[in-house]
Amino acid sequence: MKGRLFFKIFATYLAIAVLSIGIVGILAGSQIRAKLEKQIERELMSYAGLVDLHPMQEIQPRVEEIARVAGVRVTVIDREGKVIAETDPEAVTLGSHLERPEIQEARVRGKGSSTRYSRTLHEDMIYVALPIRKGPELVGYIRLARPLGEVRKTIEAFSEILLQSFLIILVSSVAVAFLFSRKLTTPIRDMEQFTERLRRGETPGTLLIRSSDEIGLLAENINYLVAELQQRIAALQEEKAKVEAAFSSAMDGVVLLDIDGKIETVNRGMRDLMGERYGDITGKTPLEAFRNLDLQKALDRFRASGQPLLQEIVLGEEPHAVFDVAISPVRGVSGGEGKTMLVFHDVTRLKKLERMRVDFVANVTHEIKTPLTAILGYVETLQEGAIEDRETARKFLSTIARHAERLNRLVEDLLTISNAELGEIHFSFESVAVSGIAQSVLAVIQQKAAGKGIRIASEIPEGLPPVRADRDRMTQVLLNILDNAVKFTPEGGGVTLSAEAASGGEVVLRVADTGIGVPREEIGRLGERFYRVDKTRSRELGGTGLGLSIVKHLMNAQGGRMEIESRLGRGTTVSLYFPVWRGAA
Amino acid sequence: MEETRRTITHYERELQEIKQNLLYLGALTEKAIENVTASLLERKSDVARQVIEGDAEIDRLDTDIEEQCIRLLALRQPIARDLRFITTAIKINGHLERIGDMAVNIAEKVLLLNEVPQLKPYIDLPRMAVIAREMIRGSLDAFVREDCELANRIRRMDAEIDTLNEQIFRELLTFMLEDARTIHRALLIMQVSKNMERIADHAKGMADMVVYMVTGINVRHQWPGDATQDVCANKRQDS
Repeated sequence: MKGRLFFKIFATYLAIAVLSIGIVGILAGSQIRAKLEKQIERELMSYAGLVDLHPMQEIQPRVEEIARVAGVRVTVIDREGKVIAETDPEAVTLGSHLERPEIQEARVRGKGSSTRYSRTLHEDMIYVALPIRKGPELVGYIRLARPLGEVRKTIEAFSEILLQSFLIILVSSVAVAFLFSRKLTTPIRDMEQFTERLRRGETPGTLLIRSSDEIGLLAENINYLVAELQQRIAALQEEKAKVEAAFSSAMDGVVLLDIDGKIETVNRGMRDLMGERYGDITGKTPLEAFRNLDLQKALDRFRASGQPLLQEIVLGEEPHAVFDVAISPVRGVSGGEGKTMLVFHDVTRLKKLERMRVDFVANVTHEIKTPLTAILGYVETLQEGAIEDRETARKFLSTIARHAERLNRLVEDLLTISNAELGEIHFSFESVAVSGIAQSVLAVIQQKAAGKGIRIASEIPEGLPPVRADRDRMTQVLLNILDNAVKFTPEGGGVTLSAEAASGGEVVLRVADTGIGVPREEIGRLGERFYRVDKTRSRELGGTGLGLSIVKHLMNAQGGRMEIESRLGRGTTVSLYFPVWRGAA
Repeated sequence: MEETRRTITHYERELQEIKQNLLYLGALTEKAIENVTASLLERKSDVARQVIEGDAEIDRLDTDIEEQCIRLLALRQPIARDLRFITTAIKINGHLERIGDMAVNIAEKVLLLNEVPQLKPYIDLPRMAVIAREMIRGSLDAFVREDCELANRIRRMDAEIDTLNEQIFRELLTFMLEDARTIHRALLIMQVSKNMERIADHAKGMADMVVYMVTGINVRHQWPGDATQDVCANKRQDS
């Protein structure tokens, strides 16, 4: 890995060296060889030409002489190819020499030469041959032969030089290749490590390469690209974070269904809405997760039509949660094809308010209609002649008056409540002594209680700080609560009014009775308009159903509050908190 | 190769569909019980009538699921796990259909009860309804998740329902002994209670089948006490 480039460069150098030396060797070698052979041939020729072979009988001694002088092997053959003289004793036995190429050439051209491997001497030999003539008559041939060992030696010497230079080139090319490749690979390796770090997601900084060639340019480009890339990644991450923040911090529940209709993703809002009840719902179908028929039917409709739709569903046991679920296809996101988005919007509170409003209208109508029907009925009876009977008429009229009074009370209560809600009741706050006001309300309620045989006790300690309140409204509130207490306490029971300083700069007045009490789950609804725990009984007792609602409003408007504790069959305690007077402000 | 893979996927999709349909049927029966309970507590006869009319959908889905299962049995000839799955599905389907009928039975009694003054406040009956629904939902959950432990828990819940049923019976008996005029209403309420108890029995039957599906052991006629505690320990490994 590390030395790959080095080896490439080195191999290239080596190949070039081998190739050039090889070519030089082959070309120069053959040239040298040819030249040497030619030279030897010419030399031999001139020796051969020197030989005067007359008379043929004395030929052997002459030949011996030439062989000695020229250092060659000399053979003389006659016309038929028979060896007449031979200087090499080992070659005497040879047969006809007429077929040899140099002889043939000499016969035709007047001189011949040939280079070949001599089987007799086991060596490359160069042969030259000339014809011997006596006058015009050919009498034989003289052949001179010299081994080519000399030539070989020269060539070998030459090759040795070549080899030496090759070795020098080899060593130097290794060095050069090493230096060159290092110079080349160092910046490339830097770049490689740099991009590797980038790939792993680290922030690699800037690539430092001091070079002005192509590599330097490349490094500059990489730096530029990296900067650009990081900017883009940052922008994308920011975008993603925004989307994720919106997705996860949305109050609405978002559920993403994959292409098979299974729940793929659930946002935090959804988890909060669902609570523990449904556990981990990812990977399930909505039917599996919620077991909700309405939701499933809506999903089926959505799948059939492909149109976004809104469905109201009720989830869970009491208390139910009501959701508006918007079902829509996921669009405009790569990989979102075929996916479905469900957005759960919690409308439980809205539904409750809606129901309360509907109830309110129905209640008001009902409350008004009951006395009105009675009044109309009696009036009708009077008109039809009952007016003539004075006794009956008086009875009827008093009944009519009672119902009219009730109507009036109702309308007054409604006005009070609507004013309180609109903030149109004007309070004149002053410093009110708790004991004083307690005495005055107890005096009023005492009578009513005595009639029912209910004991009224007062436990107002000395030295309570005065409270900040509207005296009339405070009286109204206390009377209302005490009246309720007396109303809902059976004969022989007791009602206690107590007061104490509470923490947080408040004084609390408590009205405790030993009455019928209120079921725990109904306590929260007591302040609702027209809410009655026991409908028939309350109306029998002459209530409008607005009393506690008014008290709640008046307390809140005075900067105080009302708390109710109750146990069914044991009694109820209403606590009224008033702020302590801190001087006129 | 490609061909077989597609067939398997298609087959699995068919199994999935049966699951989803059973869940839907379960949701329908649950809703029926919820509605019939509400119609009893709030004395709303129209809700009771809705439950009676709604049974047609339950019956239709029951037929559909059964056909689906039989077709799968015939065409795919499933073995081992798949076979147990489908037989379980058929059984659960039957139980759910019967639960729907019980809800109708209750609705009919509610219609009669709503015509006469309420004998007493209903306290145990809504509790039975809540448990019965929980058992249906739990059994189906166990079926879908192949959760033997959950199925076993559901099987044990049946005892609670039985206790409540007996409690109602004793209470109504005292009413009847004291005042003969209450007998008619008391008997109607008893039938409501009895049907609710039967619903729980069917839910338990579903849970039994889930145990069979997961373990291959038939626990239908065993009391889900300590003896079968470790029934889930030997899950079948064949597939």
